[in-house]
Amino acid sequence: MKFIVSSAELLKRLSNINGVITTNPVVPILENFLFEIKDGLLTITASDLQTSMITEIDVEAKEDGSIAVPARILMDTLKNLPEQPVTFSIDQETYSVEINSDNGRYKLAGENATDFPKVPEVTDAYSVDMSTDVLSSAINNTIFATSNDELRPAMTGVFVKLGDTNTTFVATDGHRLVRYRRVDVATDSGMSIIIPRKALNLLKSTLPSENVNVVLEYNASNAYFHFNNIRMICRLIDERFPDYENVIPTENPIEMTIERSELLGSLKRISIYANKTTHQIRLKITGSELTISAEDLDFSNEAKETLACEHEGEDIEIGFNAKFLVEMLGNLHSKSITLQMSAPNRAGLIIPTEKDDSEDILMLVMPVMLNNY
Amino acid sequence: MEKASKTLRKIIHVDMDAFFASVEQNDNPELRGKPVAVGGSRERGVVAAASYEARKFGVRSAMPSALAYRKCPEIIFVKPRFERYKEVSMQIRSIFESYTDLIEPLSLDEAFLDVTHNKKAMASATLIAKAIKQEIKAKTGLTASAGISINKFIAKIASDYHKPDGLTLVGPEKVTLFLEQLPIEKFFGVGKVTAQKMKNLGIVDGKSLKAWSKEALMANFGKSGAFYYNIVRGNDERPVNPNRIRKSLGAENTFDHDLKEPTDLKMALDSIILTVYNRLKKADKWGKTLTLKVKFSDFRQITRSQTYEKPLATLEDIAQHTFSILDNIDPADFEIGVRLLGVTLSNFEGEQGELAKAGQQLTLNF
Repeated sequence: MKFIVSSAELLKRLSNINGVITTNPVVPILENFLFEIKDGLLTITASDLQTSMITEIDVEAKEDGSIAVPARILMDTLKNLPEQPVTFSIDQETYSVEINSDNGRYKLAGENATDFPKVPEVTDAYSVDMSTDVLSSAINNTIFATSNDELRPAMTGVFVKLGDTNTTFVATDGHRLVRYRRVDVATDSGMSIIIPRKALNLLKSTLPSENVNVVLEYNASNAYFHFNNIRMICRLIDERFPDYENVIPTENPIEMTIERSELLGSLKRISIYANKTTHQIRLKITGSELTISAEDLDFSNEAKETLACEHEGEDIEIGFNAKFLVEMLGNLHSKSITLQMSAPNRAGLIIPTEKDDSEDILMLVMPVMLNNY
Repeated sequence: MEKASKTLRKIIHVDMDAFFASVEQNDNPELRGKPVAVGGSRERGVVAAASYEARKFGVRSAMPSALAYRKCPEIIFVKPRFERYKEVSMQIRSIFESYTDLIEPLSLDEAFLDVTHNKKAMASATLIAKAIKQEIKAKTGLTASAGISINKFIAKIASDYHKPDGLTLVGPEKVTLFLEQLPIEKFFGVGKVTAQKMKNLGIVDGKSLKAWSKEALMANFGKSGAFYYNIVRGNDERPVNPNRIRKSLGAENTFDHDLKEPTDLKMALDSIILTVYNRLKKADKWGKTLTLKVKFSDFRQITRSQTYEKPLATLEDIAQHTFSILDNIDPADFEIGVRLLGVTLSNFEGEQGELAKAGQQLTLNF
């Protein structure tokens, strides 16, 4: 089997899907790209068994065939070659792969393509369309709040509830929670799925910057994303997602509205002075003034800033993990935000004051207990 | 003593004899002199306390009622009346209070008293202990055993020496000998597994424990090693803390061999849960947060907590919820082997919110 392809074009495609490949896969062959040629179309697959990504590129080829090519060596070779057509010659007996360029000849040991695990098909799937803008904003708004705790698998992914009037994306690590809702994405399947964080991270880095359509197909066990010439199939997390609606408080008599970037800037400065393990900062809201302070008793560090805000309800003094607040505020785009609270030991809600008509964002953060001496 | 510069403390540990059972016998003369067990008599019941008459037959607290019945067919089961025990406990507390304010109750039926400086200006702790015992007998009709020594650890062991109605003094000059002769399993914090490990190392009593350097003990037993090193030398500076509020109550068990099978884990949990339940009952504290601790054979440790709307107040409740937490852990995790399981109840009724310590990140209540 033999084919000719542009080194730069091939590298571009491989880079799109290379992120799936792990350094020490369960099955060694997964350190390879699977190359399959049919009628002059090269289909390339990368997989870690949970997630597979597939892309295509036209090549010059006289015959069909397939081979597994070591990903690392191939990527490194292509990266260091000046752009030019390269010829791949594959020995179907020994699985050796020879690459010929203007610069010279490189030979590497491939593997039998039939050993490469089969990518699952998504059968009996529901389908929903959304734009890359919507999908990337849903991912960006939620993924940072997912949990790293592999022992609570449900929380290591983003929960997606596909309703007939809207679609809700939820992520939580037990300390904070984000609910991101779109009314411009809807389907009548009435299903909920949990998409693993890794798949979403891959999507995040692969989604094109121009706004194109993404097709999402899904059944109970797999989700399938399709955009441009890239396809991704991931196994869903088969767990029960925590009952998130129940923990979102509805009675929040204390409200503070403040300019987002001002608050974010202040938090970033104050957090430098906070305890390095708890990142605890103190918000004191009195009248129309917000005082943010932090102290690290171990190092005798302390900082305090006062900002103007709009405030309704009683005065309050409440502690939060600054890192959580910074992450949440950093992912919002609204000019100002409202922080809703009820008590120093109850959840705080961050809600952007202005938003896209088709989206609804709610971010919840649990407080850190203050030591009031 | 090495620490001559420090004033020696006088600590009394008072432990009521077969408390629940004795209260029942005292309130109901028909039960006196008979084997009595407080607890459920049904198939799944457990003995919460056994009278000394019942103990002669081998009936012990935390024993399944069915087994107790087999050991002693004449046994009389009495339903527990915790309100009454609490009432008697308060009566006893007020007796303590006439001697000192430094009282640390451990449960309804035992407490530490620091009588170094007492309200009656009595020099002899032994006489105070004797007076307390007499007063308890006179006011409640119940007997107690007391241990007197220079720290909490020794006082507690001493109170157990001559039970029931005992009074044991381990004076400063006897502390060294007392600790040297103490079998290793009697040491505070030494459970079945640690005791076996110590015996394998040739440590059978205080004397052989003392022969070990702090470094060697720490190398074998980690942080606890330093604790054993101190305690065998009579160094237990833990004060009698009258403000101690129990924030949690639990029990854990390290196993002789690592457990892998879910059925083995559940069986092991069964007995831990029973211990926790009996401790909760004794302390009359009912928690809303249940925590399961699992330590794997590679010493990696995980804890899983769940908070419920209502306190878990029955053995069935605690067991059912513990198992459901266990079921939520991926069985694959257990393949490496489990060396320790622990169950703890916290977030006690009536003190919600107080539990959160300053600096603690609060968690969503899923």
